[in-house]
Amino acid sequence: MNVDSGMERPGVAVGRLSEQAALAGPRISIRNLNFFYGTTQALKGIALDLPDRQVTGMIGPSGCGKSTLLRVLNRMYDLYPGQRAAGEVMMDGQNIISPDVDVIALRARIGMVFQKPTPFPMSIHENIAFGVRLHEKLSKARMDERVEQALSRAALWDEVKDRLGASALGLSGGQQQRLVIARTIAIRPEVILFDEPTSALDPISTMKIEELIDELKSEFTIALVTHNMQQAARIADQVAFFYLGELVEASTAAQMFTAPREKRTQDYITGRFG
Amino acid sequence: MASEPQHLLRSFDQELARLRDLISEMGGIVESQVAGAARAILDRDTAAAAQVMEEDKRVDALEQEVEQFVIRTLALRQPMAGDLRQVVAALKITGDLERIGDYAANVAKRSVVLAQFQLPYSLAGLGHMARLVQENLKSIIDAVGEADAEKAVRVWRSDLAIDDIYNGLFRELITYMMEDPRNITPCTHLLFIAKNLERIGDHATNIAETLHYVVTGAPLTEARPKGDTSAYAVVRPSE
Repeated sequence: MNVDSGMERPGVAVGRLSEQAALAGPRISIRNLNFFYGTTQALKGIALDLPDRQVTGMIGPSGCGKSTLLRVLNRMYDLYPGQRAAGEVMMDGQNIISPDVDVIALRARIGMVFQKPTPFPMSIHENIAFGVRLHEKLSKARMDERVEQALSRAALWDEVKDRLGASALGLSGGQQQRLVIARTIAIRPEVILFDEPTSALDPISTMKIEELIDELKSEFTIALVTHNMQQAARIADQVAFFYLGELVEASTAAQMFTAPREKRTQDYITGRFG
Repeated sequence: MASEPQHLLRSFDQELARLRDLISEMGGIVESQVAGAARAILDRDTAAAAQVMEEDKRVDALEQEVEQFVIRTLALRQPMAGDLRQVVAALKITGDLERIGDYAANVAKRSVVLAQFQLPYSLAGLGHMARLVQENLKSIIDAVGEADAEKAVRVWRSDLAIDDIYNGLFRELITYMMEDPRNITPCTHLLFIAKNLERIGDHATNIAETLHYVVTGAPLTEARPKGDTSAYAVVRPSE
């Protein structure tokens, strides 16, 4: 199927789905971003806006650069020598990849949730309080309040309120993932990065996390890397398709999954790749 | 769509091919129905009329088969992008084809009644209209098979000529009825027949719009030139 058949002749008005579902203004603006693992270039000239308090889904085959982009957004790569980023990732007028940015403070503003739940071997309460203490000094009462808020916001409170002192390792996979999300939002970030947050979860736990992400976007700007295209279709406002380190196409989810502009996108999302 | 690379899951390709086959089978029958209906009126061929009505059952059955096939595909394959457009379009196109089949059957039915009357005038105008409708129908069915959006746009635009002939026939038939009340029965049937042919043309343009969206991903949104003005026509006897 020829996506661009040159049918846009004068007189034939073309309505696009993207015009109907508008994206918000950018919270983060990425321009001309390049990233290197040693001499291997993993991201090539990326330009993408993350719309404010909306979900940007990032899709593409393994090794396409989508997880690398998440790692750039909270400077995770700083931990590894030989990895470097160049370009602009603008947030509140500041280029967050410039060396003079306080990385600890940055990570408090841009939280991250990984593929596998990563609870600390501590109590449920402490899993959340631990991170908060790194950034704020709260009285016990205020801390308890913050823990409850975070757990409620992550739709976990009702399930754990009677066993806050129990080990977090006793929770199910889906509960652990929601605990990690609670830990992330307890620090009150502005942006949350999700790296395949449901790939290790069963369908019901997955739906709970998706519902939660949908809820959280009223407050946070969200980037979501996922291999599950239906998931991107369900919860993303904007979807970005990456291939071999390039951003091939970014548009509203409706546009992307009904009428993508690029042939490579079309082939990938209809399963014709390879 | 034949130029597309294959799906990694090849059984999905086979299913999409099956869907295209069903539509093309349905298109073929509907084309022959319309041709048969035209013969039934113009040549007073009652055998052709009977066959057109008989073929309608197969068309209805095919429409149901496509409908079930589409629902199954949506549930099991969750098609995206071009595949999604193709699957949803199959549903719409077969809906239009089924209506065309109904109109052809209705024309055939009326032709049987019409055959009982001596007509004092020529059916050349109606014959001309039937030819244009058949041409448009054939073009759009071919365009669907070839996924040819440009051809679809040509069909879409050429419906105006059919509307013009219909308006002329409308006035002509009313004049005959005013001249002699004995013409009222055959002319009323002819009016319905002309209207049915005109509606077949409209459904061909619906298919053109659907096909344009399937191929390009963009709807054909220009206001289509609509030429049927008979709804506003007033013909008064001269005083």
